[in-house]
Amino acid sequence: MHRIALVLALLTLASCSSRQSLFVVLPNPDGSSGAVTIEDGQKSVLLDHPYAAGEVRSGVAAPVQVDQTQVQQIFGNALAAQPVLPSHFVLYFEKDSDTLTPASALQYQAVFTDIKRRQVYEVEVIGHTDTLGNPPHNQQLSMSRAVMIRDRLVRDGISPKSISVAGRGQLDLAVKTADQVAEPRNRRVEITVR
Amino acid sequence: MNPVNRACRAAASITFILTLLAVSGAAANADNSQVAQIKTVSGQAEIVRNGARVAARIGDPLYEKDTIDTGGDGSIGITFIDNTVMSSGPNSEIVLEDYKFNSSDFKGSMLTDMNRGTVSMISGDIARSSPGAMKVKTPTAILGVRGTRFVIEVKDNR
Repeated sequence: MHRIALVLALLTLASCSSRQSLFVVLPNPDGSSGAVTIEDGQKSVLLDHPYAAGEVRSGVAAPVQVDQTQVQQIFGNALAAQPVLPSHFVLYFEKDSDTLTPASALQYQAVFTDIKRRQVYEVEVIGHTDTLGNPPHNQQLSMSRAVMIRDRLVRDGISPKSISVAGRGQLDLAVKTADQVAEPRNRRVEITVR
Repeated sequence: MNPVNRACRAAASITFILTLLAVSGAAANADNSQVAQIKTVSGQAEIVRNGARVAARIGDPLYEKDTIDTGGDGSIGITFIDNTVMSSGPNSEIVLEDYKFNSSDFKGSMLTDMNRGTVSMISGDIARSSPGAMKVKTPTAILGVRGTRFVIEVKDNR
């Protein structure tokens, strides 16, 4: 009888001290990494390099060693389900115009190709201007730049309901300038594809 | 009108009323704007929304408070509107507990409840916007995310 109680107690103890959760930081494509902190309510464990790992046992967080093979064993299915990562493009325009610069006209094809490789997609197009001209005019110009890109994508077969457009006028300058400054790097649309 | 026709009319009316109720029910959500889109699905994967369970389908929108639930052979991948990317493996339950994002200034906050299973995340604009803006809660700890790629396993101790 006592033996059974002991076995039960040991089993309970074993389950108490088994790992409740595991956290691993993975490397970015360039080999760097971000950082995460595990807070267990008492203290905080910082994980700030590739494959830095922490676990929680009995409600207590602590660092732990984990290698690439173990990550693949435990997280292989989750990692295999990862969607195509979002892409970001910037296309530039001629002064006070919704015509793309020659270089950006060529780059348009890369945007189109990126959208087409996705099974489902959402595209955000946000137009911008430099500080030449007045804000209401620039608001309109930024919107017509975004609309021009959308219309081109739709003509090329991209679904219009998957594209959103916005114009930010001269509110979000890529390069900070004084008012009434012609700046080619500010005459742009920013496109996110995801 | 013959009885068959009458039954059909009645069925049509009931369908219409139920559809209206479903639409108004959705609109009654505190915040019913889309926060993510389903990009990949494999095996059994379901979404629980307002207590109702539906099969996850590629292209479907997800909303704040939705629960993602995968079976023994299931996995799912989603991308949020701030470009956070999340995917989970089999036997996982994840709740999109809190999600706020302003697409004009790219600031926001998100709290994900990781109840069990495995998940891989790649942070987006929200984690970049301010320290502490992105958090993942597990039954035993809270993860603060400063970026960028990380994975979590939560054992099912139910």
